[in-house]
Amino acid sequence: MVKTLPKDKVSISELVDRPWITIVWDDPVNLMNYVTHVLIKLFGFSKERAHELMMQVHNEGRAVVSSGTREEMERDVQRLHEHGLWATLQRDDKI
Amino acid sequence: MSNFEKVGDGYSLDLTLDEAQILINLVEQLLELLGEGDFFHHYDSSDPLAQLLAMPSEIVTPDDPVLLRLLPNAYTDPEAASDFRRYTEPQLRGAKQKNLRLVREQLTVLVDENLGGVIEDIEADVWLKALNDLRIALSIRLEISETSFETFELLLDEDPQKPVYAVYFWLGWLQENLLELLL
Repeated sequence: MVKTLPKDKVSISELVDRPWITIVWDDPVNLMNYVTHVLIKLFGFSKERAHELMMQVHNEGRAVVSSGTREEMERDVQRLHEHGLWATLQRDDKI
Repeated sequence: MSNFEKVGDGYSLDLTLDEAQILINLVEQLLELLGEGDFFHHYDSSDPLAQLLAMPSEIVTPDDPVLLRLLPNAYTDPEAASDFRRYTEPQLRGAKQKNLRLVREQLTVLVDENLGGVIEDIEADVWLKALNDLRIALSIRLEISETSFETFELLLDEDPQKPVYAVYFWLGWLQENLLELLL
């Protein structure tokens, strides 16, 4: 049996161009204030949003900080690595 | 006690001679680990033209755990990670070397004069990144975990590891000190 995907979830372009995401992983070294600072600086988040994402990294071990094309995510990961944050990119698992 | 201070649009840093010596020592060790030769080159490592000759023929995932953490894999898939590394690692390495070189230059003034004192014209961003890379490097050697501060406090004074832990936590304090001025 095949279940059709809910209509509002799917467009051909979404299925073909499934976005890529950048994940920041927790580590025991980076200071909480530093991670917040870097997220504000690199992604232009508000202080509140950056703090929220930093806490998600801290409590859940990881957080998605950006999504877009593969090239964009590669650039984000590289910039995060320049700042010493531990980051990877991958295709978004969710449709 | 050492301190970053906000001066006009910029920052200054007050260090004792001991502190400046500890810092320059670590900075130079990390530069060496990152493969810095003992000469100053005038090209920018991220320039594609420079990479024609200077880029090693094969860029592989580092064996050294410190290098692997400073120059991490961008993908969990090993093949994608090594492809990405081949094209981007020289630039990442170059960026880290550049920060460390700038910090080294500013420390040299104090260390060469054999005096503690105030370093003016601190570029916050450069120092934050350099201090962070030093902490990352030490953390791997010390196998730092969430509970390491408790471990440190329980170490006996004569334990040879104690001063290394002390430097690690001091660097964190110093970085926090600068961050508080920025946030």
